Amino acid sequence: MKLKNLKRIGLISLVATALIIIAVFGFGCVSGLSAIGWSGGAVQNDVLYVGSMEGRLAAINLVDESRQWAEYLKVQSSGGIFGCSSMLSCGGDTSRVPIYGTPVVTDEQIFVAGYNGKIYAYNTINLAQRWVFPRDTYLSPFVGGMFYDDNKLYVGCSDGFVYCLNAITGELLSSYQTEDKIWGTPTVADGVVYIGSFDKNIYALNAGDLTLKWKYAIEGSIIAEPLVANGIVYVGSFDKKLYALNAEAGTLKWTYEANNWFWTQPVIVNGTLYAGCLDGFIYALNPATGAVVKVFGEEDIAVISAFASQPAVEGNYVVFASKDGIVYRIDTTTQELKVLAVLTGSITGPLTVYNGIVYFQTQDIAIQRIDIESGALLLSISLISG
Amino acid sequence: MNVWELIIQQPLTNVLIVISHAFGGSFGAAIIILTIVVNLALLPLTLSQIKSSKKMMELQPKLAELQKKYAKDRQKLAQEQMKLYKESGVKLQGCMLGMIIQMPVWFALYQSIMLALAAVPEGLLNLSRFLYSWPVVFSAIPMNPYFLGMDLASPNIVLAILVGVFMWVQQKMSTMPTADPQQQSQSSMMLWMMPLLFTFMSLTFPAGLALYWVVNSLFRIGLQYRITGWGTLFKRAAKPGAEPEKKHLKFEQPPQEEIKQTIVDKNGEIIITDKESLKKSQKKGFLDRFFKGGNNGQQDQ
Repeated sequence: MKLKNLKRIGLISLVATALIIIAVFGFGCVSGLSAIGWSGGAVQNDVLYVGSMEGRLAAINLVDESRQWAEYLKVQSSGGIFGCSSMLSCGGDTSRVPIYGTPVVTDEQIFVAGYNGKIYAYNTINLAQRWVFPRDTYLSPFVGGMFYDDNKLYVGCSDGFVYCLNAITGELLSSYQTEDKIWGTPTVADGVVYIGSFDKNIYALNAGDLTLKWKYAIEGSIIAEPLVANGIVYVGSFDKKLYALNAEAGTLKWTYEANNWFWTQPVIVNGTLYAGCLDGFIYALNPATGAVVKVFGEEDIAVISAFASQPAVEGNYVVFASKDGIVYRIDTTTQELKVLAVLTGSITGPLTVYNGIVYFQTQDIAIQRIDIESGALLLSISLISG
Repeated sequence: MNVWELIIQQPLTNVLIVISHAFGGSFGAAIIILTIVVNLALLPLTLSQIKSSKKMMELQPKLAELQKKYAKDRQKLAQEQMKLYKESGVKLQGCMLGMIIQMPVWFALYQSIMLALAAVPEGLLNLSRFLYSWPVVFSAIPMNPYFLGMDLASPNIVLAILVGVFMWVQQKMSTMPTADPQQQSQSSMMLWMMPLLFTFMSLTFPAGLALYWVVNSLFRIGLQYRITGWGTLFKRAAKPGAEPEKKHLKFEQPPQEEIKQTIVDKNGEIIITDKESLKKSQKKGFLDRFFKGGNNGQQDQ
C-alpha cells in the first residue's frame, strides 16, 4: 500500500514538474524573434538624431532637451498575411518599422534606412521628408547603416546589393550585387567602399561606380563595419576572427581568433586597436601585427557579457557597453578598465559621444546619458512621442 | 543561460546547425531530419500511446455497456471502468505521461528551429550565445533559409495549408468513436479546432516551424497507419443518441406482393427496435407511396 502511495506521489510530482516546464519554457516566446531595432545617434549642431524604437526619426536638442519627431516609417502592407507584417512575430507590434542603422546627418539633411526596405531623407530644420528611395516599391530590409561621402550615400541591403544614391535627390547612381544578404554598414576611404556580406566575402568597390576592386574570401559571414586606418582594413567575422587586410591589394596581413563572433567595428586609439567580441572579452591588439596588448575580461573586475554595441571614443577613453547593460571605460594610456554604470536593460545599439557624454538608446525607448569622466548616470530622455 | 537552455535548447540548436551544414547548408533538410530523429527517439512512448488508444477504441462497446449498466452509480461505473482498463492492459497514466514527456521535447525542437532561423537581427545576435565552439557551427551561420523555393524565415501559405490538412488527417485517424454525445461533440470540435489553430499559427510564424509541423504530422500518420490502419479516417461518426449495440437495419425494396404481405401481418411479425431505422422505414414508405401514386396508401387502409 505504501509503495503504491509512493508511486502515486512520484507520478504526481513528475506530472507537475513537466507541466511547470511546459508552462514556463514552452509557451514563452523564444527571445530575439521580434524585430525591434537598435539605432544609434548622430549629432549635428547640438541636436541628436536617432531612429527611435517607435519606428520614426527623433531629434533631441541636447541644450534644452526639446524633442521633435518625423512621421512614422510606413509598414510594407504586402509583407504578411491578414495584415500582419512578416518581419514581426510572437506578439510583436505590427504597426512599427524597426530602425537598425544609425542616421546619417549632414548640414541640411538626415538620412534613415528602415527595416521596411526604404531610405528616407529629411530636412534638419523641421524633419519634413525630402525624398524616399525607392519611391513606390519596397526593397528588402535595411539592417546596416549608411555612409555619406561627397554627396553620395552608400548602403548595403538584405537583398545582397550595395547601393549608391545621390544624397540630394535620392536617385540611384549605381549598385553592386553580392551573393547573400548584407546586414553591415559600409566604410568609404580614399575612394573605395569596403563592406562585408553574409556570403563570407569582404568587398572593396570603387566608390565612383561600385565596380569591384577586390574581394577577400573568409570562413564566416560579416556584419561588422570595416575600419580603415593606415592603409589597413580591419574587419571582424562570424568565424571568430578579426582580419587585417591590405586596403589597396586586399591581401591578408594578420588574423586574430577569439571565442565568438566579432559583431561590431573595432576602434584605434593611441596606437592600439580595441575590439569588443560576443565572447565577452575586449581585445587590445597591435594594429600592425595583431599581437595581443591586453585582453580585458580575463582578470578584470567585472564578469563581462557579449559586446554587440559599437564602441565610442572620447579623448584617451574608449567606452564599451555589454549586452547585459554594463557600460565600461578603458583608459588607453593606462589600459585600465572601469565600470561606468550598470543598467537593468540590455544594450545592443551603437554608442555616441558628444561633449564628454555617451548616449545610447535602450529598449524602454529612451536615450541614456552617462558622463564619461565621472561615470554619473544622467537622467534619461524619453523618445516616446505620445 | 538557464538549465533548460543549457541541457535542451543549446544541444538541439547546435545539432540542427551541424545537420544543416552536412546537407549543404539546407536548413529545410535539417528540420526534416531532426524532426524524424526526435520522433524516432520518442518512438517507444508514441507507440505505447497509439497502442493504448487502439485498445481504448476496442473497449468502446464494453465501456458503453458499463455506462448503460451503471448510469445511476458514478462511483461503481468508475470502478468498473478501471477494472476493465486493468484487465485489458490499458494504462491511462502511461498514455498521459507519454504525452507530457513528449511535449517539452516538441517545444524544445520548436524553440531551436526558431532560434537557428534567426529571422531578425535580434535573433541572430541571440543565437551567438547558444553556439558551441565547433568551427563548423560558426562557419554555418547564418543559415540559408531557402528550401524548395520557400523562404523558411517568412510565413508560407502552402505549408500552412499542408499543416492544417495533415493535422486533420492525423486527428481523424486517431479519434475514438464514442456513443456519448458530449464526448462526440468534444472530439469533433478538437478535430477541427486544432488544425485550424495550427494553420493560423503557420500563417504568422516563419515557415520553418510549419515545415516541422508537416513532417511531424506525416510521421505520426505513417505510424498510426502501421498500427491501426486508417482508423476512423474514412468512417462517419456515429449519430448522437445512436446506441452501438443496436444495428441499423437496411431495408431492401421488397417485391410489391411482399409489401402487401408484411403490411397485412405487421402487428404480429415485425418488431423494429431502432428508432433511426423506424424513421427511415417510415420515410421510405412515405416516399414509395408518393411516387407510386398512393396505391399502397389505399391498400394500407
